[in-house]
Amino acid sequence: MGIVFTRLFSSLFGNKEARILVLGLDNAGKTTILYRLQMGEVVSTIPTIGFNVETVQYNNIKFQVWDLGGQTSIRPYWRCYFPNTQAIIYVVDSSDTDRLMVAKEEFHAILEEDELKGAVVLIFANKQDLPGALDDAAVTESLELHKIKNRQWAIFKTSAIKGEGLFEGLDWLSNTLKAGGG
Amino acid sequence: MSGHDSKYFSTTKKGEIPELKEELNSQYKDKRKDAVKKVIAAMTVGKDVSSLFTDVVNCMQTENLELKKLVYLYLINYAKSQPDLAILAVNTFVKDSQDPNPLIRALAVRTMGCIRVDKITEYLCDPLQRCLKDDDPYVRKTAAICVAKLYDINAELVEDRGFLEALKDLISDNNPMVVANAVAALAEIQETSAKPVFELTSNTLSKLLTALNECTEWGQVFILDALSKYKTTDAREAENIVERVTPRLQHANCAVVLSAVKMILQQMELITSTDVVRNLCKKMAPPLVTLLSAEPEIQYVALRNINLIVQKRPTILAHEIKVFFCKYNDPIYVKMEKLEIMIKLASDRNIDQVLLEFKEYATEVDVDFVRKAVRAIGRCAIKLERAAERCISVLLELIKIKVNYVVQEAIIVIKDIFRRYPNTYESIIATLCESLDTLDEPEAKASMIWIIGEYAERIDNADELLESFLESFPEEPAQVQLQLLTATVKLFLKKPTEGPQQMIQVVLNNATVETDNPDLRDRAYIYWRLLSTDPEAAKDVVLAEKPVISDDSNQLDPSLLDELLANIATLSSVYHKPPEAFVTRVKTAQRSEEDEYADGSEVEDSETPSHAVENSPPPPGKQPGVSPAPPAAPAPEPNLLDFGDDSVDAGPPLPVLLSAATAEGLQISGQLVRRDGQIFYSMLFENNTQIALDGFMIQFNKNTFGLAAGGPLQVPQLQPGTSANALLPMVLFQNVSPNPPSSVLQVAVKNNQQRVWYFNDQIPFLIFFGEDGRMERGVFLETWKSLPDSNEVSKEFPGMVINSLQVILDRLAASNMFFIAKRKNANQDVLYLSAKIPRGIPFLIEVTAVIGVPGVKCAIKTPSPEMAPLFFHSIEALLKS
Repeated sequence: MGIVFTRLFSSLFGNKEARILVLGLDNAGKTTILYRLQMGEVVSTIPTIGFNVETVQYNNIKFQVWDLGGQTSIRPYWRCYFPNTQAIIYVVDSSDTDRLMVAKEEFHAILEEDELKGAVVLIFANKQDLPGALDDAAVTESLELHKIKNRQWAIFKTSAIKGEGLFEGLDWLSNTLKAGGG
Repeated sequence: MSGHDSKYFSTTKKGEIPELKEELNSQYKDKRKDAVKKVIAAMTVGKDVSSLFTDVVNCMQTENLELKKLVYLYLINYAKSQPDLAILAVNTFVKDSQDPNPLIRALAVRTMGCIRVDKITEYLCDPLQRCLKDDDPYVRKTAAICVAKLYDINAELVEDRGFLEALKDLISDNNPMVVANAVAALAEIQETSAKPVFELTSNTLSKLLTALNECTEWGQVFILDALSKYKTTDAREAENIVERVTPRLQHANCAVVLSAVKMILQQMELITSTDVVRNLCKKMAPPLVTLLSAEPEIQYVALRNINLIVQKRPTILAHEIKVFFCKYNDPIYVKMEKLEIMIKLASDRNIDQVLLEFKEYATEVDVDFVRKAVRAIGRCAIKLERAAERCISVLLELIKIKVNYVVQEAIIVIKDIFRRYPNTYESIIATLCESLDTLDEPEAKASMIWIIGEYAERIDNADELLESFLESFPEEPAQVQLQLLTATVKLFLKKPTEGPQQMIQVVLNNATVETDNPDLRDRAYIYWRLLSTDPEAAKDVVLAEKPVISDDSNQLDPSLLDELLANIATLSSVYHKPPEAFVTRVKTAQRSEEDEYADGSEVEDSETPSHAVENSPPPPGKQPGVSPAPPAAPAPEPNLLDFGDDSVDAGPPLPVLLSAATAEGLQISGQLVRRDGQIFYSMLFENNTQIALDGFMIQFNKNTFGLAAGGPLQVPQLQPGTSANALLPMVLFQNVSPNPPSSVLQVAVKNNQQRVWYFNDQIPFLIFFGEDGRMERGVFLETWKSLPDSNEVSKEFPGMVINSLQVILDRLAASNMFFIAKRKNANQDVLYLSAKIPRGIPFLIEVTAVIGVPGVKCAIKTPSPEMAPLFFHSIEALLKS
């Protein structure tokens, strides 16, 4: 009862920030997506050694978006950010077919985490602008998304450079969170 | 335990750390900021909050400058303890170094330099590079210092990334503070780099001189220090530089003043025009005098520096002696320094004034100060011939006060005065003799005895006076004994009558048979031999004319003085020691050895001729055939525990382990020793090659005791022909060899110039015996009984003779084998002793012998009987020696 009340309260005043992690292999486009969402423009990025955190306001929800570095050396520290997370945005470089296997393994390892049990998952099949990029169905297949149980998820075709698909994903996310999915 | 009991392990009460963790992850900014403040507060009082590392780092990306600074502070503190997680902060640093706010950019680059974690340094190079070229001077000047910090962490990286060039570019920066910091950073890097990193050219020189006038006071210090290292090409250039720098002498900051003085002194070396030099000296005096009106601490620093300056250029302060007169309320350390400088500045012109001052000081209450004042009078007497008489009359006045320590000090200096001006002031001897009974300090006694011996022919009752000392001969300190010996010989040679003849017999007997001081004994034998062979030759030798002394005490060696002058306004000039003497740790090891030398041996102070009571000069080469011992009295066995020679080594020379022949000119000697309960590897490195050697490192192979280096080997750069001692602390049980026990220690040593050298050393087993090896009788018996007989090992040493039990016991005790009991078995003596090796393993020792008859049996019982061969090897060497 108390929880429902708080939820109601916070959605009324809009001061509750939803905590969202942006994860994915290195060079998937996480940082570009973050700043595209936040500033609406493409910034030049360098590999993130560590993290970026920005607040993004969308559909009356404040998202506290954590973009974590995707390099192999930093992946072990993702778990430091898992507690209290409502949603995960998992970014996949759809054109990097060689590493889809790695992406799949990392993805399913995340889903196993206890602390992320209640988090909804949004998958961005990014870099659709590149030739040879797999479409959402193919990515769904490669990541074996059908194996996901007891969790709300969605996949969107995106291109962070062109700004396509991102806000559709965010729409889904805000609706799902508002509906109490997180 | 039933399943429900698990609740007892999960308490509802949270500790401080989980509470803080929760607050740090709060969704409210204010709460997070408060939490970080709490974390910092906990950190400051010493609580370990390193477990909150990620949580704190997560608060790092914030608009709030206050919060950011706190997180940075936390990072500096804990990055070292969480080197893996520190990488999480990198991205934020990179971002912050591009922040629109220059304060944040500078903050980021400054903090980055303070985080000494190898893993992340390479990520910091790009931001640093950017900041070195930043538009804002505040960022550039911060980045300049950061380069020096990075150099300390990873010099190679700095050189590879071209940061040194970037720093050199900053010397031409249009902002004076940036220039100053670039200079500071380059100077700091130069100190650790072997390569020439920072050399001023005439081009950069003018830039520095311009920046000098505009930057902050500490920036001025950096620039002045750099300028003082600049090698001017000719006198004109030197004059120009000095002229630009002279206004700094008026600065309110004493560091600036001293640095300016240093710089001017350095450049003055090149200036040839005497007018210019005189003028400069005149200009330097007032600022130096002004320093003496500051706080006592600053006065002290100024005085220590002035001490050096007046040794080089006495003219600067020649007319200012009055400012060095001691005020009654000066702290003692200031007074002592002032005295020193007064002596240096004393001249025929001001000596009357100075003497009045000294006389007054000699009546003050502080004993040390009074002594120094009396000594100062003596030193002035020696220094200024025309004032000597006045000095002596002051000394005589002081003797009349009859204050014991004043009299003694006066006698010591008068002895020096006699040597400086022979046959001039002997008329006062009678006055001195009046105070004979009150002398109780060795140096004063020795001085008085020297005077009596030297002027025996003028003192009617010289024989009586000396005789009064002879009664207590065996109890006197070595210094006095030596003087008594020499004085008696002189007396005998001057008045070869019956009384002195008897005295000389007594003294020679005392000094040869009764003493175990080799100095005394050897000198006595020489006299004895001389006297018995040819008394005329003895006269020539003993009563030979002595060289006139001069006052060179407290004068520094010119090369050292120059080095110290180049370091004015640093600790070096306060300590009067070159920087390398106290900056590296090797030097501290050497110092401790010198200390031992100072109190461990009875070497007379013959190294300082003006103070030393004159020793009759032995005739080197005059009588080559003479053996040191007269046939009448065979020399006792040399006692190795006394240090007879004047060499600085505190013990017998270390055994050579790696000879220069094998190691292309590098010679290494060394020995494992036990000191204060710890095992050290005492080593001596000698460089007989043609090149300087540095970067010494040492490694030990696996060995029975797991001996390994307990720290890095501290050997300074070895110039050709020099040597250095090192005392390497050792630890046990580090790399224990599984092989059967062996005393072999395999060592590898390398340096930057040569290949790796390998050599073997023997581990002396006895060094493992701890100071805690003493056992109660009961415990000893119980331990003995509790061990099975198979743990007992014995060995016979057939040729060995024990002459004195006490000597043996003392020797064993010195190696931490403690006496428990003694038993008589027929004519045999059986000794029981206990010892302990590390990890508390006891060694029960039984020694059986007949006094004076060859054949010693030694048995041990211990839980580690496999060590027995090593033990027997060592004990045999110990008992035989």
